[in-house]
Amino acid sequence: MSTSAPPLPEPAAQWREVCVAYPFAKRAAVGPVNLHVRQGERVLLLGPSGSGKSTLLLTLTGLVPDSIPADVTGEVSLFGADVGTQKPWAWARHVAQYFQDADQTLCGMRVEDELAFALENRAMTPEKIAEAVAEAMRKVGVPDEWRHRRSTQLSGGERQLVALAAILVQDAPLFVADEPTAHLAPDAARRLHALLTSDQGERTILIVDHRLDGLIESIDRMVVLGRDGTIIAEGEPRRIFREERALLQSHGIWCPAASMLDAQLMRAGIAAPFAPLSVNEALAHLDPDSAPRRLLEQARPAVEAFAASAKPSHAVRDNPALVQLSKADCAPFLSSAVLRGVDLTVQEGEILGVLGRNGAGKSTLGLTLAGLLPVKAGLRKGPPGGYAFQRLENQFTAGTVCEEILGAWPKRMSADERARRTDAALEAWGLEHLAANHPLELSQGEKRKLALATLTVSDRWPLLVLDEPMAGLDAQGAALLTQEILTLHEKGRTIALITHDMDLALRLCPRSIVLGEGGIMADGATEELLGDAALLARAGLAEPASLAAFRWLKAVALRLEPVAAC
Amino acid sequence: MLKALNPLSKLCVCCVWLVASVLVFDPRFQLAAIFVPALTLVIFNRTSPLVLLALMVPFALFGFGFLSTSLLFRRESDFALRMAGEALRASPAFSAGITLFLRALACGMISVFFALTTDPGLFVRALMRHTGLPPRIGYSLFAAMQLVPDLAGEAQQMRLARAMRSGRRLRRIPGPFELMSLVIPLLAFAIRRAGRTAIAMEARGLGPEAPRTIMNAPDFDSRDGIFVTVGFLVLGLCTAAVVMSQ
Repeated sequence: MSTSAPPLPEPAAQWREVCVAYPFAKRAAVGPVNLHVRQGERVLLLGPSGSGKSTLLLTLTGLVPDSIPADVTGEVSLFGADVGTQKPWAWARHVAQYFQDADQTLCGMRVEDELAFALENRAMTPEKIAEAVAEAMRKVGVPDEWRHRRSTQLSGGERQLVALAAILVQDAPLFVADEPTAHLAPDAARRLHALLTSDQGERTILIVDHRLDGLIESIDRMVVLGRDGTIIAEGEPRRIFREERALLQSHGIWCPAASMLDAQLMRAGIAAPFAPLSVNEALAHLDPDSAPRRLLEQARPAVEAFAASAKPSHAVRDNPALVQLSKADCAPFLSSAVLRGVDLTVQEGEILGVLGRNGAGKSTLGLTLAGLLPVKAGLRKGPPGGYAFQRLENQFTAGTVCEEILGAWPKRMSADERARRTDAALEAWGLEHLAANHPLELSQGEKRKLALATLTVSDRWPLLVLDEPMAGLDAQGAALLTQEILTLHEKGRTIALITHDMDLALRLCPRSIVLGEGGIMADGATEELLGDAALLARAGLAEPASLAAFRWLKAVALRLEPVAAC
Repeated sequence: MLKALNPLSKLCVCCVWLVASVLVFDPRFQLAAIFVPALTLVIFNRTSPLVLLALMVPFALFGFGFLSTSLLFRRESDFALRMAGEALRASPAFSAGITLFLRALACGMISVFFALTTDPGLFVRALMRHTGLPPRIGYSLFAAMQLVPDLAGEAQQMRLARAMRSGRRLRRIPGPFELMSLVIPLLAFAIRRAGRTAIAMEARGLGPEAPRTIMNAPDFDSRDGIFVTVGFLVLGLCTAAVVMSQ
């Protein structure tokens, strides 16, 4: 009888010395990379924008270079077989791929046909397909009334939900997802993370996602790509987020909120015994009811510093109204109203958060606030506003970055003056080296910057509506954009911020509105709204990760200074 | 009701009507080929007559080209004759021109009848199930058909962005200059979209050789039989009436 251990199963996916270069590109998009994903493992791939994460995933089934031309060196294998031995379509039985953009996953059919498509390609029986489609819709939370709607008629977040259902229905042993929650409301994102990680080690998962809270706890291993497309860190998430925090931050990579709190607590010399992945974990050893007072007093300044960075630096002020909607019915262009009887006042100089589940009508309200869509009924008062679209490709009209900004100045301005100011604006926004590039050639973060630059170089629009401005940005890009938004606010601009990121809303917006049920469900201080569990449940939202720290501070205040707190 | 019919039944009847409207050179027949599908749409599909009128505008412009060409460039037509109203209507050039004009409208109305009552997805599925159309070609056709409404949606987004920058209110119908300026960005969108759709289909297992199931493909039933019979019967009656009157 042999005593040797059974052979390890082949890795689900493996890259050996893989390097990918696109035609005419000056440097490789990714690589050289050596990476393997074991069967049943859940791996998170992190990296800044442009580090080649999506390209690496596209090599997995041979879509790069088979369908997207590129020069690929090294070896890619799936379940022990060289990827090149089969065509990309033949790997669909083994690999379910969710691409970064839902439009890359969906084919434009009706929702039920989208979901059935992959199973039809496997020649499954109609009964089994119908059963699997109904099950996937139920699991992901796709409403039955969407069945006959075309996927292209859904909102961005709704499309993302359908795309995920269309991928999950494949029930492939390897699930690859590239930013599956970028446009999802918190409740849907949480449900999705739970769905992805609910299998007990049966399914291998390789995921790229910037929204780490709620996901990171279920991840076995993290792989981090640097700006040059090579692996800079690899290992267990807790270890990486504590030991390599500085490295991650220097590369502009997202870290969970708990990692920032952990850093503060470490500086105070009272960090959790093991690296935390959630704010609750970071404070678990500091229970306000049972921990020694000395420890609570030691930790309090650190938690306060963390909480201060998670809250807006400015308060709600009673300024005059800039834009007002009275009993307004808001509708997309040439469609019927999706929001009815909206009463809303946007005050001069405020940053207003616009929150709500996917398809709640946030973009429609934003376009109405900006005056781009007329109200179907009721009244809108106020000057026109500028709108930064969710899909930036539609925002740009010129052939180069420079021309895009040139076109943003008032027509009465002389050509020389325009050119001079455009140069200054390009420099101020850090876009001068891209002046001659076509806007669509820019990275997502650069496109966002350009969109903001064109909206803000002149004083034409006192109100700016930003529709999910952080979607698809890395931590560095998001930090830069956050700073730009705060600078605009300091200059007196009024901003309406449409977002699914509750922590961002809490940090930037003293006041928010919550949309749902065909109107405005709540209007008030963001901290209060996001602390209302019943409201969040009704609106399909989730509380921000940092709110646990606020609760801890309140409980500690009661313990340490009960009289003052009362 | 018309939407519940098998797309292939409708395609068959519409094709025969189209061929007849090309072959029968008589303005009364062309009028019948316009009004029969139009009335069917208004009565059974609840289509607004105004929508039908609007959809006929491009076909009317096309047909007007035939009319004016017949009047101005036929060798036997005489300018003086054309200037006199009574004689103009009696002239062979005018008669041919008006028939060509009505034929353009008839072909347009029959096509509109098919388009307004047929889901492109079901049409492609019916073609794949009942005619053996290869899925790769079927889904390419489907993607091409879907591109038209998507282009319209994309154009609206672009128009909103342009309206914002120009400071003008968004008009319901774009002007010719605005339309021209949208052509290149929409072409770029169409190319991007086509590439993405191809990759999406391949990544989800659409291959050239493998057998596949076709879900939700419409079958034929008694309603299709009735529709085809009535369609051909009305066509036969119209043709017979024209032939007998000559």
